[in-house]
Amino acid sequence: MKKIMIDPITRLEGHGKIAIFLNDMGDVANAYLQIPELRGFEKFCEGRPAEDMPQILQRICGVCPEAHHLASTKALDDLFQVEPTVTAKKVRELLYSAFFVTDHTTHFYILAGPDFIMGPESPVAERNIFGVIRKVGVELGKRVIQTRQQNYWVIETIGGRGIHPVFGLPGGISKGISEENRAKIEEIAKNSVDFARLSLKIFDDMVIKNKEYLDMMLSDTFTHRTYYMGLVDDQNKLNFYDGRIRVVDPQGKEFAKYAPREYLEHLAERVEPWSYLKFPYLKKVGWRGFTDGKSSGVYQATPLSRLNVADGMATPLAQEEYEKMYETLGGKPVHHTLATHWARVIEMLYAAERMLELSRDPGITNLDIRNIPASTPKEGVGVVEAPRGTLTHHYVTDEKGLIRKCNLIVGTTNNHAAICLAIKKAAQDLIKQGREITEGLLNRIELSWRAYDPCMGCATHALPGQLPLEVKIYDSDGHVVRTLNQFDS
Amino acid sequence: MKTLILGIGNPVLCDDGVGIRVAREVSKRVRDPQITVAEAYHGGLFILDAVLGYDRVLLIDSIQTKEGTPGEVYRLRPGDLSFARHLSSPHQMNFITALELGKALDLPMPERIDIIAVEAGEVTSFRERCTREVEQAIPVAVEMVLSEFQASGKDEG
Repeated sequence: MKKIMIDPITRLEGHGKIAIFLNDMGDVANAYLQIPELRGFEKFCEGRPAEDMPQILQRICGVCPEAHHLASTKALDDLFQVEPTVTAKKVRELLYSAFFVTDHTTHFYILAGPDFIMGPESPVAERNIFGVIRKVGVELGKRVIQTRQQNYWVIETIGGRGIHPVFGLPGGISKGISEENRAKIEEIAKNSVDFARLSLKIFDDMVIKNKEYLDMMLSDTFTHRTYYMGLVDDQNKLNFYDGRIRVVDPQGKEFAKYAPREYLEHLAERVEPWSYLKFPYLKKVGWRGFTDGKSSGVYQATPLSRLNVADGMATPLAQEEYEKMYETLGGKPVHHTLATHWARVIEMLYAAERMLELSRDPGITNLDIRNIPASTPKEGVGVVEAPRGTLTHHYVTDEKGLIRKCNLIVGTTNNHAAICLAIKKAAQDLIKQGREITEGLLNRIELSWRAYDPCMGCATHALPGQLPLEVKIYDSDGHVVRTLNQFDS
Repeated sequence: MKTLILGIGNPVLCDDGVGIRVAREVSKRVRDPQITVAEAYHGGLFILDAVLGYDRVLLIDSIQTKEGTPGEVYRLRPGDLSFARHLSSPHQMNFITALELGKALDLPMPERIDIIAVEAGEVTSFRERCTREVEQAIPVAVEMVLSEFQASGKDEG
C-alpha cells in the first residue's frame, strides 16, 4: 500500500498529520487524521483538589481555556451540588459570549479567511493573512485585531486574568461587575455586533454570491449525512453556556435530548490502534466504522451542528441570518461541511448580541454572586459548547473532594470520526489513479477538515523549526518516490 | 523605554513551560518601573496583542531544534528563526507572521524584539517541573535575561 503524508497541517489550531493511504491501483484506500499524544493527564489530575480543576484543566488546551474553565466550574457546581446565583450565571455567560466573539473572529479571518477570501486555487504565497489584508483592506484588518483586543479586555475584566480566567467557583464567581465596567462592556458589545454583521456581509459578498464557491460548498465531496449534537435552552434555541444536549438524526429529527449527567448513557468511545485520541459515537446507534448515514453512530458537534439541532437563535439578528442560511442551502439540516464557516459567523453575531443583552441586563451588576456549597462531593459533570464542539468535564472525587477520576470529551474529539470521514471523501474524489497530486488538490483536501477548526488538544508552545507542508509519496515497498513541499520556492 | 519581558509556554507541560518559569524568576529581580514582566500561554496572534505599545520586547520561550541539546540557551532575533511567513506553527500562526501582520496593519509595534530560547526535551507529558537538564538551564536563562537590561542600561547611560 502506498502512503501520502501531509505533515504538518497548516493554519490550524494545534499540530497533526494527515495520512492518506493509496492502494496498488493508486486510488485512495483510507485517510486519517493523526493527532500527537500528550501523556500523563489522568495521573496529573489524580489526588488534586477538585477546586483546582478550573485552573489546571484550562492549561491542557492552549486554544480555548475559557471553555475549559467554565465546563470545569460547572462540573464543580454539580460535584458540590450547589446552584450558582442568577447573577453568577449571567456573568459567566457574558464572559463566554465575549470569548466566542474573539475565537470565531480569529478562525474566520485568520484560519479560514485565506481559503475563502483568496480562493482555494490561489497560490500559497497569496493564500494567507497578508493576501486577505491586501484584498479586504488594512482598515478591516485593524478591526479584526481591535475586536479581539476589546473582547479580551472583557474576558480579563470579568475573569480576573486575561485568557486564563480565575473567576469560576462552585456556586458562582469570585467577583461581580462594576457599573463603570458594565458600561464599557456594553460599548464593546455594540462594536462586536457591528463587526459580526460586517463579517456576514463579507461572507455573503465573497462566498455566497460567488457561484464557484457555492457550488463547491454544495458539492458531494464536502457533504456528510451524520447525526448532529449541540446544547439548547428550554425553547430549543442554541445556547453556548447551558442547557440540555440535543441530538438530531440525518433527517433533522430529534434523536435524543439529555442532561449533562446522562452523557454516558448516550455516548461510547471507539479506540483505534493508530490514534491515541478516541472516537466518540452514539451508543444507541452503534459504531459502523468511518461511514455516515442514519445507521452509523458517527455524529458531529460543530457550529453547523449546533444550528442544525436548534429550532432557532435566541437573538433577533442571528435568527434572521439563520433563516437566510437554511433558505439558501435548501432547508434543515445542512450536511455541507463548508457551510460550517457560515454557521460560525452567524454564531459570532449571536454571541455579540447575547453579550449586548447581558450587558444591559439590570441584574448584571448585582452583588449576589455566589452560593456557598455545603454538600459532600462525590461526582460532577459540566458541559458547555466550546467553539469547536460540545465540551464535557466529568470528575469523581473522594469525600474530601480530591480527584479520583477525570474524564473529558473535548470539542474536536466529538468530530474526530467525521473529520477522518471528510478527509477520506475529499481524497477519494480528488486523488485518482494516474492523476498528478498537486498543491491545489491537497489544499482541497485540507479545506474539508479546516472547516472543523480542529484543535489537537496540543498546548505545546515550543518554537517550531522549519515546518513546511510536506507530502511524501511512497511506493508499495515503502520507499519515497516523490516529495512535495508546499512552501518550496 | 517601555519594555516587556514576556515568558511564553504551558506551565503544566514539562519543558514547554520553561519560558514561564524563567519569567517568574526574572520578575522577582526586576525593579525598573519601565519594565513589565508578564506571562503568555498562547503563541501567534496573542503575542501580537501582548507586545503592542511597548518599545522593546524580550520573549522567553522553549524551542526545539534538530541538533539541539536540551537545556541549551540561545539568544535570538526574530530573523534568526527560519520559518518566516509560513503559517505553519502549532499556534494559529507563527509569531514571525504575527509580527509582520502588526507591521502590515501599522500597529504600534516594538522597535526591538529579542528572544531568549531554551532547548526543550520533553513537551508532551503533563508535569509542572521541567526535565533535569532544562531545570538547570533556568538560572542560566534568568541571568541572560537580566544581563540584557544591565547592558542596555550601560549603553543608554
